[in-house]
Amino acid sequence: MLSIATTFFWLSLILFFVSAVYSVKDVRLEFGEPQVDTTSDYKILFSLPITVDNKGYYSIGSFNVTTEISNKEGFIITRSSTFISKIEQGTEMTTAHNVTIDIEALSQDNQDYLFNDTELEIHEIIGLKLAEVIPVQASTNFSIPWGAPLYNFTLGKIDYSPYNRTYVRAVVSISFENHAFFDLTGNVQISMYKSPNVFLGQGQTTVNAPQNVPYRGQIELTVPIAEISENGYFEAYFSTPFFNFGPLVIPYG
Amino acid sequence: MAEDKRDFKKRLQKITFKALKATIKGTFFYGIYFVLSIFLSPISEIFPGFLQMIETFVMVYIFFIIVGELTSGTIFQHFFNTAKALFLILFLIFSLKTGLVGITFQNVSLIVDLRLFLTVAILLSLLGLAKSMLQAINFLNQKAEHTRL
Repeated sequence: MLSIATTFFWLSLILFFVSAVYSVKDVRLEFGEPQVDTTSDYKILFSLPITVDNKGYYSIGSFNVTTEISNKEGFIITRSSTFISKIEQGTEMTTAHNVTIDIEALSQDNQDYLFNDTELEIHEIIGLKLAEVIPVQASTNFSIPWGAPLYNFTLGKIDYSPYNRTYVRAVVSISFENHAFFDLTGNVQISMYKSPNVFLGQGQTTVNAPQNVPYRGQIELTVPIAEISENGYFEAYFSTPFFNFGPLVIPYG
Repeated sequence: MAEDKRDFKKRLQKITFKALKATIKGTFFYGIYFVLSIFLSPISEIFPGFLQMIETFVMVYIFFIIVGELTSGTIFQHFFNTAKALFLILFLIFSLKTGLVGITFQNVSLIVDLRLFLTVAILLSLLGLAKSMLQAINFLNQKAEHTRL
């Protein structure tokens, strides 16, 4: 009697295991074209459509996709998970795996993300439970390019022209390339200093830089003639719907 | 003389019957393996060496089945049955280790968590081991009673 029971349990275990593994071949996992968009609160949104067609013999449990985006030093910038508790046998399910990046937080962590192109490390984990009992996990690492919205931001030579008896008009050219996934609109404000705490003047301009298009513009300031010096520095402040950043100190002279 | 001849015939019949039973059992077990290997062949593409491992297991297991059957009615049958159960436990432990089977293919690493399967399989193997040992004790008991009578 014990032999029959043991044999029965063995056969059940082996048949279940083999059929669960074999049925994987009838499970189709498809990733669509990734979409890049912006959210209503001006964060970058990566959306990856995922289709799971379960034509296997059993349901799939605890299906989850996790994306971790980190910088080269391993600091995690953002983490996002998409979880489907159960995919019934014979059903097809489509969902979008969304990952958002807050550029504001990113720029506070490291200003390089605003001014220099770099690479972001992506750690992708896909987990599921075959027949709702056998956990399987696949993971991979890859990197994606990060385009800086203010790539190569530079202030040009200052052009002085008379304004009135005590002030001159100072025109400073600004240039950068928007390498980001989004069109950049916002405000750039610069303050001119002769030396620490000796303020000369400030000016601002509105920028509108579509993706991958070089931007060139000018900012006008009025500076007291008596205070003009060959050396000093600018403090640049950026105010856009995606991020606010400043001061960026750029010396002149 | 006639009695010796009858005795020899009886023994020959017994051995032939045992050999036949062992062949049937071995063939049946191999048949199961053959059918399952068709279903398991996609795994060998992911886990190279998986089918060879199963093949080795099946060969040793069939050997124990055949030897156990040929030595049936003796204490050796129980020795071989115990050895078979022990082999099964050790094979499971050595092949599945912690129960987490992993493989890295190009840049993708795949981990299958077989801890639940391993636990159930080891429990069933322990049941088999206990059964073999109890059968051996029972066999020795019966033999001792028979001798006393």
